[in-house]
Amino acid sequence: MTTELYKVSARILLLPTLLVALGVMVKGYADPGDGFSAGVIAALAFALQLMVFGPGELDRLPLIRYVPYAVFLGLIISLLTAFVPSVMGQTLFTHWPPAGDSAPRFGTLEFITAVAFDVGVFLIVFGFGVGVLSSFARAEGRMRTSEERVARARAAEGEAGNTT
Amino acid sequence: MSWLTDPNPALAVLIAAMLAPLLTVLAGAWRPASVRAVAVGTTALAFGTAIWATAIEPSTFSIMWIETWNVQFELAFDGLAAMYALLATGIGLFVVLYAAGYMPLHREHKGRPLIDDARFFGFLLLFMASMVGLVMAQDLLLLFVFWDLTAVASFFLIGFDRDEEDARDSALMALLVTGISAIGVLIGALLLWQEYRTFSLPLIFEQTETSVTVTWATALILVAALAKSAQFPFHFWLPRAMVAPTPVSSYLHSAAMVAAGVFLIGRIYPLIELEPWLGDALVVIGAASMVVGGVVALTRDVFKQVLAYSTISQYGYVVVMFGLGGTYGVGGAMFYVIAHALAKCALFMTAGALTEATGKQTLSESGGAVRAMPLLAFGSLLAAVGIMALPLTIGFFKDELFFAAATEHGRAMQFFAVFGAALSFAYIGRLWIGIFLGSVKQEHRPIGALMTWPVVALGILTVLGGVWVQPFREIAERAASVSYAQAIDLDIAYHFDARPENVMVLGVYGLGVVLLLTERWWRNSMRALVSIGEVIGPAHLYLLTLRALVRLSDSVHDFEVRDLRSRIASILGPAGVLVGLAVIFTPTEGTFVVGPLQRSDIPLLTVIIATAVSGVMVTFPRDHLRMVLTLSCVGYSLAVVYAFLGSPDVALVAVLIETIFALVLIAILVLMPRSILRYESRLRPARWRLGRDVTVATIAGLMAFFVAWSALSRPSASTTVISRQIELTPLAHGYDIVTVILADFRGFDTMGEITVVAIAFLGIISLIRAGRLR
Repeated sequence: MTTELYKVSARILLLPTLLVALGVMVKGYADPGDGFSAGVIAALAFALQLMVFGPGELDRLPLIRYVPYAVFLGLIISLLTAFVPSVMGQTLFTHWPPAGDSAPRFGTLEFITAVAFDVGVFLIVFGFGVGVLSSFARAEGRMRTSEERVARARAAEGEAGNTT
Repeated sequence: MSWLTDPNPALAVLIAAMLAPLLTVLAGAWRPASVRAVAVGTTALAFGTAIWATAIEPSTFSIMWIETWNVQFELAFDGLAAMYALLATGIGLFVVLYAAGYMPLHREHKGRPLIDDARFFGFLLLFMASMVGLVMAQDLLLLFVFWDLTAVASFFLIGFDRDEEDARDSALMALLVTGISAIGVLIGALLLWQEYRTFSLPLIFEQTETSVTVTWATALILVAALAKSAQFPFHFWLPRAMVAPTPVSSYLHSAAMVAAGVFLIGRIYPLIELEPWLGDALVVIGAASMVVGGVVALTRDVFKQVLAYSTISQYGYVVVMFGLGGTYGVGGAMFYVIAHALAKCALFMTAGALTEATGKQTLSESGGAVRAMPLLAFGSLLAAVGIMALPLTIGFFKDELFFAAATEHGRAMQFFAVFGAALSFAYIGRLWIGIFLGSVKQEHRPIGALMTWPVVALGILTVLGGVWVQPFREIAERAASVSYAQAIDLDIAYHFDARPENVMVLGVYGLGVVLLLTERWWRNSMRALVSIGEVIGPAHLYLLTLRALVRLSDSVHDFEVRDLRSRIASILGPAGVLVGLAVIFTPTEGTFVVGPLQRSDIPLLTVIIATAVSGVMVTFPRDHLRMVLTLSCVGYSLAVVYAFLGSPDVALVAVLIETIFALVLIAILVLMPRSILRYESRLRPARWRLGRDVTVATIAGLMAFFVAWSALSRPSASTTVISRQIELTPLAHGYDIVTVILADFRGFDTMGEITVVAIAFLGIISLIRAGRLR
């Protein structure tokens, strides 16, 4: 059922989807969307590749093997933004710059620590989605080969039984 | 370096006591053979520190502990703490010395490795350290922490021979009885906080006045104290705890655990005095324990059982004395604890030494040991006459004080006191005579000097206290004046006149000797009486309760784990009922309103109806893929509802979540063997189970419906919070409220959630990689 059409469209869709995810992430503080949604969108981009091409093909994408580690990178980033203020004598989750101060900005994106926290959330969700789906897919592949092996062994046993 | 030149005694005692288990365990990790020497050394150090701290002025130590509740880490080395700390470390030193001789033999019997020494001495010294901490704690929360620490340490010590079921059961029983009752201390502390806004005992005592709350708080703390002191009706755990190695028993009975209970009574005595009926209750409970313990002790055959029941009865004396109150009551109680600790510790050690030498544990199998072990017999004779209150022993004065306190309360109390003391005269006499006199019934292996000399030393101390009573008297007086909140002068001396105390003592000797001589006549009837008590007693009740609880938990568990449906039913059913009760009992004014329906609402209504229909449709398909797809239908329709309601953010998240959920579910289905899926989809549930599931689902669904309805139609306080957050959003450099709430206002919630995601991810990865799905 994996036709050429599927393959072509999946390949074409990969980069734009990631771009949309990036957009949702960056514009999160001004428009609908945030790190969580962006993470899910990016994970869905890879899920599409996984469904169409299978885990073997997916592994050939650059850096894909390291995506599951993003969960822990993201957790560390979020923990840092949460707890560093407490080292400096402020309460947890005191974001910088403080309320009312102006922050460096790029378009609608303001560079504030809350955005860093959101990036952490993005990484966690993205890594979770890709990691879980790809390890399910790999397990499925392993299961199928072992089933085939069992079937082959049974067939061989049957033959041996016939000869004796 | 002011702490070096001018150290704080209270803190020093705690640190020295805490060092003991720590160093012992470290020594065990480094070189197991050194554990015994290190244990003896560190205990001696702790004892030395306690003596030094007693010799100088009472001292306190306090630093802020929990600032938000204004709780101090507050220690005081006052008279009461000094007495119990000296007991815990001093008796502890004898016990550790004895254990150093006992443990190699015990390990050999049970075939345990050398490293078990570290476990044993580690917990024993932790026990000591938590006792020391307990007696110095001035804050009720701190006191509760140490209180529970003693229970934990005793649990591991009683269950030390963990391969034996009896040891495990007994340890659990001790932990349950003393641990559950310990909640009384916590509740009492909270009630007192309610009344006085502080957990600090000195501050509470400053402003005491009678009120119902304070009385109940005191009563609850007393329940914990009495359970720990093994007083009737909580006494049954103590005889069972005798399965512990002997050093543990002797420590548990003389200076720790059981002593901790009467210590607590002494610590909160100013609160007890406020309400006369609390004192009366103490007298009744103590008297009951005296009689029950004394009578049962007379019928037991196993040495340690005799001693265990004797402890119940002896601490009954102490509780009665606290209940009687007054100079003699409170002062006598303190003195009694000291005298009892010395003698009882020695007697337990004797029992253990004898069992190690002969392998026998019962009176009927022993006798004539005086010839094989004259030194042990001598030491334990001194201890025994101490409890029997013969003159020239410290025990004589303990009974004198008891009788003096009883005399202040009339004739009936006097008779009762004589009767109780005669009982203890009889059972201790019976024990010593049964072990050491009579015909030789067994062979004796030689035992080490370490198991004999502590007994002799404690025996000599018992006699020394009868000749030179001054130091013991001073310790008891200082302790009692803390409890009684005024200086106490105990008139302890030998008086050669016909005062009531002397006459009563003579009565005790007479009655005790008669009881000993007539054992043949009362033995059988007494045993019958005791076995009736075993059938209807509190121990039986405990067992029944425990069994019923286990059965209940098993049946709930069996139901829950049978299959997914019954698991969900067991969650949704109770949840639905509870929520339903909440709905019924919440005032419904202004809620359950049906608003007007406008023409512009029709699209929204259409989508909601579509959602509801797809929700119902989920229940129909039998094959799994269709179920998943229908389920995501519900989710997508809901997303449309959010979009109509004007929250694009939520709608976006809903669509994304639905998509990835459907994918993950399908991926899981792919992992399952096709044959099982096919079999499952053909399976028809039994009619009654279908009925049950439909009922539970209907109840839960209806209740959720009513809760949502009532919540949404009620003008709630949270709208003000939300408008405040909308107001603040620009200040937080944001324009999208949802994002700002997630990353800033409620950032801590998000933090918790993403941590859960990361942990779940670890779990999934390790499950799959570990090959479970292979």
